[in-house]
Amino acid sequence: MELRRPPDAQHAVAALGNGSLALAGGTDLVPLLRDGIVRADTLVHLADAVPRGIDGTRIGAGTTLAELEVDPQVPAALREACAQAASPQLRSMGTIGGNLRQATRCWYWRLRFPCWLHGGEVCHAKAGQHREHAIFGNERCASAHPSDPAAALLALGARVRTDRRELSVAELYRLPTDESRDVVVLAPDELVLELDVPLPDASVYLKAMDRKKWAFPLVGVAAARFGDRVAFGLAGVAPIPWAVDSADDLDRATPLPGTAYKVQIARALIARAFSAL
Amino acid sequence: MARLIRTEKEVEGRFTEQWIVVEEDALDQWPAGPRTVVGQPTRRVDGVERATGAAVYTADVQLPGMLHAAVLRSPHARARLVRLDLDAVRAAPGVRAVIGPDDLDVLTSEPCYEGHGVAAVAADSFEAARAALELAAPEWEVLEPLLDPEEAVRRESLLAEPRRHDRGDFDRGLAAADVVVQAEYRTQTLLHNPLETHQSVCHWEGDTLVLYTSTQNIWGVRDEVADAFGLPHDGVRVICRFMGGGFGAKNDAGDYTLVAAELARRTGRPVRCALTRREENVVSGNRNATIQRLTAAARSDGTLTALGGEFVSALGWDGWLGPTAGPMQMLYACANVRTVEYGAKLNLPPMAAFRAPGFVEGTFGLECLLDELAARLELDPLELRRRNHADSDGTDDRPYTSKNLMECYRRAETHWERRHEVRARSEGPWKRGVGMASQIWYGGGGPPSYAWIRVGSDGRAVVVTAMQDIGTGTRTAMAQIAAEELGVPLEHVRVEIGDSARGPYSVISGGSSTTPSMGPAVRSAAADVKRQILEIAAQRFHLEERVLDLKGGNVVSADGGSWSLEEVTGLLEDAQILGKGARGPNPTGMRVMTFGAQVAEVAVDVETGEVRVERVAAIHDVGRIVNPLGASSQVEGGIIQAIGHALSEERLDDPATGLVLTQTLDAYKVPTIADVPEIVTELVDVPDEHLTNLGSKGLGEPPIIPTAAAIANAIRDATGADVRSLPITREELLHALEAAREQERRGAAAPA
Repeated sequence: MELRRPPDAQHAVAALGNGSLALAGGTDLVPLLRDGIVRADTLVHLADAVPRGIDGTRIGAGTTLAELEVDPQVPAALREACAQAASPQLRSMGTIGGNLRQATRCWYWRLRFPCWLHGGEVCHAKAGQHREHAIFGNERCASAHPSDPAAALLALGARVRTDRRELSVAELYRLPTDESRDVVVLAPDELVLELDVPLPDASVYLKAMDRKKWAFPLVGVAAARFGDRVAFGLAGVAPIPWAVDSADDLDRATPLPGTAYKVQIARALIARAFSAL
Repeated sequence: MARLIRTEKEVEGRFTEQWIVVEEDALDQWPAGPRTVVGQPTRRVDGVERATGAAVYTADVQLPGMLHAAVLRSPHARARLVRLDLDAVRAAPGVRAVIGPDDLDVLTSEPCYEGHGVAAVAADSFEAARAALELAAPEWEVLEPLLDPEEAVRRESLLAEPRRHDRGDFDRGLAAADVVVQAEYRTQTLLHNPLETHQSVCHWEGDTLVLYTSTQNIWGVRDEVADAFGLPHDGVRVICRFMGGGFGAKNDAGDYTLVAAELARRTGRPVRCALTRREENVVSGNRNATIQRLTAAARSDGTLTALGGEFVSALGWDGWLGPTAGPMQMLYACANVRTVEYGAKLNLPPMAAFRAPGFVEGTFGLECLLDELAARLELDPLELRRRNHADSDGTDDRPYTSKNLMECYRRAETHWERRHEVRARSEGPWKRGVGMASQIWYGGGGPPSYAWIRVGSDGRAVVVTAMQDIGTGTRTAMAQIAAEELGVPLEHVRVEIGDSARGPYSVISGGSSTTPSMGPAVRSAAADVKRQILEIAAQRFHLEERVLDLKGGNVVSADGGSWSLEEVTGLLEDAQILGKGARGPNPTGMRVMTFGAQVAEVAVDVETGEVRVERVAAIHDVGRIVNPLGASSQVEGGIIQAIGHALSEERLDDPATGLVLTQTLDAYKVPTIADVPEIVTELVDVPDEHLTNLGSKGLGEPPIIPTAAAIANAIRDATGADVRSLPITREELLHALEAAREQERRGAAAPA
């Protein structure tokens, strides 16, 4: 395997695709490579290729979660989502750009069961162990998206600038389909460069997990208030970060037998987030 | 005089009758209470070595020319090998030797659980070994696995005959009761996850196999490997000076040791075989899941009239049936007890001992049931336990060598009284409550165990015994005991352990038996040395031995004379004073048990199912405490591990294939430091007057036993919900709360 370190975004994009993968903090990619879930001939290190740092509402994709969680310019929901993600060591390595691209923790997918998300026919989690899995968007695949910051960015209405276009975080994600099992709309050689995160009047991130620290969300609820409008972004409840307008949307959840409890938690956290604003 | 006796030997509730040779234990116990060294809080003698990285663990062993092994393990719970290309593996770069199912008993072509070893390779690097195994391209005929323990019991797929205990008349006991409670409890499969994974480095020096291994049982590994290779027992030299945890899973040699030994034999080079974290979480052993259908019956004053239980243990493909019914048989006075235990044989990885196997699971069920009974009787749970105190062992009426459980209850009262104030701090969705549970367990240790001590002309003592310290601090405890008996400062004692070629036999570090087994042997060896020193001093200074003693590193006489120890031993030049000591027998006709009680305080978010353990008070009775600092550290470790058992840890298996889904530490959730509550440790610290020259029992296991039940009982106190299944995840708790609400609705709807 080859490791390249292109001097700028243009070179990085040119080096991507055809068996080349982008490497930022590596906290998810390296385990995926080690476990043979993704393969790469070349790793393209992004340290010099994507911006890092926070400037008002603009956040470089190479900014680490550790940097975001302490910066007063960053809206509370994103700061809190970063602070409650992973462990300090992981947050010091992991970047916000990479975090948006992190893969599900579904144990069947991680253990390389030939599941639907891997291109197979069935979702093993549905008939199997699925207590950490989805309550929305789970018709074909019950995996849950693990990113806390992505839910916050969704609620905050953040926009993503790539090397070739600008799109909202809501547009970045898509439920995987029979034709494409990807959860993002980006091309294989497309690079997230920067985020633009609007400043809300108030925002908050609440997280339910299996222990106090260092666990992926069972349910994460981000809420952001802009004037009299409140937007919610949920983590851990669907194959992608999931937007809801209010707790009423939970009536349309399609939980599995082992994930029904998540509906109850989401309801409680949405109510708490709403009253916190 | 050496005495041959027939005795009952116990390890973790497994009793065997065996012959042993014991020596008289002529020493009187020290008076109760802290002594000069023993009973003083003492930092670990090897703490700096461990903290600086100087301590060499098996994982650190690097030998010249060492090869690395990898094991091809079954990806199926049950399958038959159709094809395996070991030639392709043999031809891979860096490969030095390959073995398959025909080459070693622990390798198989018909695996019966995921991870069952099939083939192994030794290569220049671990990466090369793993890459070579990729070329084996096994083809499998996948067979239907048996995974459901209840189904296994129906089909009589059992690893042991059902174990029945029936005393008194259970049915009459039921009939005599005013209240009967029945409930089903479930405990989950748990993984040990020691920091250091199971591993060995094997190296043949001529006909001797030198074996570095991370083990709790140096002598057991020696015998097991020697037998497997047809060697005399001392043809295997087992070395384990430091080890990174075991919790019961490192009592045997393990397939990795036999694989490394065979590959080392074939290559003539040292071979390391170390389990990866994933292998560790699949094949290194587990605490088996249980299903417990329990009954408790009592008169209105709380007197138990009957206890009954059917226990199903999901043991996996191999293992042994832990004493899950033990607490029900022994914890309380009850004339009518009927239990039956089944050990289901399944296509799942074999169980292994795990810190109080059986009693951890059985105490959860029994102690939760007792609180349900207390609620029905409208009795205080602590009072109910007091009223049913067992004065002797209910299984055979043997008297206990010592039992201070009532004292534990008395000390628990202060913590128990906090419940009114704790409940009053409930606020909004956060409900608070307090729960308690009692503990009973073995932990008396026993013979044989030996120690040697030598003292040279510099007056320094070296304790030599082939014991292992699995991280509990027994090395420090042995140094304290030797220093106390010899009357020398702790710094003047070295303890050399961990090498079967350099010291006598020591007990397994399991069953809370190291300190109670080794401690008396070390004291006895020190007394032997002390006697000789005083004899020499008496001759040197023309005094009677009886007026001499060793104190503070000096030989002192009754008339005020004082000579430094070096002054006496300095006469010796190269000669040495050699002492030996052996563990004496346990008293016959008596039962040695440990006891305790814990009180847990929890906060429960009834809307999101979150449980926070805020405080645990632990009061244990384990005889004399050698090192209060080491003891509190044991208690804290036990409680932290128990909190993982209670709230977050669970091995999940795929119900269709029997494959383990939680193979990594993000999926298998041990507690983090943030999950650790305030822990208050109190030790009764009264020597067991019937137990050896030391009066100490073991403390490795007791603290993990009652915690989960205390937490569950605190949750009931806080919320009214009965949690009967571990772990108490948010899902479990929300279901329990819903069931409690449902019961309340039905109760309210019922006619008055």
